[in-house]
Amino acid sequence: MTIARRHMLGWGGGLIAAISLSGRDVWAQEVVEIRMQGRADGSHVWFDPIGVLIKPGQTVRWINLNPGNSHTTTAYHPANFGRPLRIPEAAKSWASDYLLPDESFSVIFTKQGVYDYYCIPHEHAGMVGRIIVGKPESHGGWMEPVTASRGLPDEALEAFPTVEEIMAKRIVRQV
Amino acid sequence: MKKLLLVSALTLSGSLCAMAAQEVAKSPPAAPYQQVSKLVKLPDFLPGMGQLFVDPATLPAGPFLAYDHDGRLVSTIYMLPTKDLNPDKSFADLAAPGGNVDHVDVYYNAGHPGVEEPHVHVVLWHVTAADEASVAK
Ligand SMILES: [Cu+2]
Repeated sequence: MTIARRHMLGWGGGLIAAISLSGRDVWAQEVVEIRMQGRADGSHVWFDPIGVLIKPGQTVRWINLNPGNSHTTTAYHPANFGRPLRIPEAAKSWASDYLLPDESFSVIFTKQGVYDYYCIPHEHAGMVGRIIVGKPESHGGWMEPVTASRGLPDEALEAFPTVEEIMAKRIVRQV
Repeated sequence: MKKLLLVSALTLSGSLCAMAAQEVAKSPPAAPYQQVSKLVKLPDFLPGMGQLFVDPATLPAGPFLAYDHDGRLVSTIYMLPTKDLNPDKSFADLAAPGGNVDHVDVYYNAGHPGVEEPHVHVVLWHVTAADEASVAK
């Protein structure tokens, strides 16, 4: 997994064209966008979609579309404040830091498995998300159950969509 | 004579209050208030609230002073963590430097940089409900 760069507005089109010339898998070219959103009065915040199924090599781009708040996408990984590991062991951690409105952050996912992440100021408000990387047709034993829950608030644990639901729907929305 | 002294004392304290309100009526308010967006990573202007200033020593409760685009004080906001609204805790004697209050809003907030935990906003509006439009965007 590689951390691409921040502030990538206007970057996507050219890269997608470049990749398609290289002849890689069509599905893997699509950049999946996850929006960071919130109600105007700040009473509710969320990732949309909250769960996605992608293929290895695919890019996920988070963008803050909430004009009155800052959000982060932060992997559950010991490298981030000693949080429990809830991404594949072989995968690299990521941390966007605070994204102001209209700022974005991208990660390219290469290792198969289940990845859980959260928003630093809003974990207690249940602002978490789950990404599954892998071929939808291969229901093998590669999906390690995500069980390390030490220090996770109940609001976060209850908010994750199930692996089964993401596998079935590919995109899980909460709103 | 006594009466006269009392009257002048009242006038004096009245003008002191006016002076104190004057110090916060226009942005930026005097120290120890600091611009919230320079303390934590938040947008400079928050739709619905405005530009916020706070004395860091008073976090998380505040008061936060909120100004519109013209630098006019529109509200004083307290941010009270919901976990602290319990039988063993209370918030007393919170400063209210903004002067006259027209109306009050109370609502839940999921959190933001600076006050990460879910909390309640208590908003003392110094302007009319119609004037809230000056911080809507
Ligand atoms: Cu958030």
